Amino acid sequence: MAEFVGAFAASHAPLIARDWHLLSPARRDEITAAYRELGRRMTVARPDVIVELSPDHWTNFFLDNLPSVCIGVGETHDGPPEPFMKAFPYQPAAGHPALAQHILATALAEDFEPSVSHRLKLDHGFCIPLWRMELSHLPPLVPIIINDLEPPMLSVRRCLAWGKLLARAIEGFPEKNLRVAILATGGLSHSIGEPDMGAIDEAFDRDCIDAFAKGAEEPLVAFLGQRMAAAGNGTHEVRNWVIAHAAAGSRGFQLIDYRAVPEVYVGCGFAAWQS
Amino acid sequence: MTDYWLSKLFFDLQTPGAAAEYRADRNSVLARYTLAPEVKAALLADDVAFLARRVNPYLLRYYFGAAGMTDDVFRAKLRASKAEAVHG
Repeated sequence: MAEFVGAFAASHAPLIARDWHLLSPARRDEITAAYRELGRRMTVARPDVIVELSPDHWTNFFLDNLPSVCIGVGETHDGPPEPFMKAFPYQPAAGHPALAQHILATALAEDFEPSVSHRLKLDHGFCIPLWRMELSHLPPLVPIIINDLEPPMLSVRRCLAWGKLLARAIEGFPEKNLRVAILATGGLSHSIGEPDMGAIDEAFDRDCIDAFAKGAEEPLVAFLGQRMAAAGNGTHEVRNWVIAHAAAGSRGFQLIDYRAVPEVYVGCGFAAWQS
Repeated sequence: MTDYWLSKLFFDLQTPGAAAEYRADRNSVLARYTLAPEVKAALLADDVAFLARRVNPYLLRYYFGAAGMTDDVFRAKLRASKAEAVHG
């Protein structure tokens, strides 16, 4: 059977790529160090496949077809279409159709209803962490899009269920010794295209990190239910962290780094769950 | 209230070629979309507050970037829209 070897999470922001040259050297060093540490831990986990959870920033989907969850089952996924992501080094990115189809089949068998894509475009949400983690090579990906941008979105409780489902699906995949990691991208607090655009809710971020560290699911559900929506529309991406958290058994959360980075409009968090 | 065709315009302008065409000739591009007169007028006037009520905020940001507005100006207009809403 396959082995679930670790869950990881990292923020993303277009300006980490587009305006990288405008950040101060000290700020670049801070962000680089956090992504590198995440990459180091991912490398230690030696995944053969990464299941990556990210929102779709109006890249693959539009209002006429907006899935809550979409599993990328293709052999190949296209690199980011954004001009500022032109230098992303892994494009196109290899998929892992067998594991992706297994996750899809497991989901359907357990009464989940994901959408499916045989060729996704991976936007900056998927690609910035993969790029900045500086992995020596990129393992095949199973990209899973979570709708964090436009209502209706998954409930936090449903995200927990998805995380547990992913863990079961990975551990039930009948390929001996296949090592599988989960990488959630997005969050923490940020506001995009709203009157408070650029605002970072550091109090929310600290409390959110604390809720993950404590681990318990019901308090996490209650906390996010009370505070997530008010912390900015981009904060909905914390759903992806919740899925990773549940996949890891809702325990073992370790903060790698947190910094409010107003230059990129995002409360930037980096984390790993001990497997 | 979500305006589908306004959203579709913003979505389509993510393509660099389409954005360049829009910057060069807004009226020709707008003629391809089913837009209410007041929506078209708001587009031509860069009326952030009016448009913000009709589209997803991410699409709104993409649009004004594609239209050539800097983030600083866009954010200032967003803040003004909030102040306008508060003070009438």
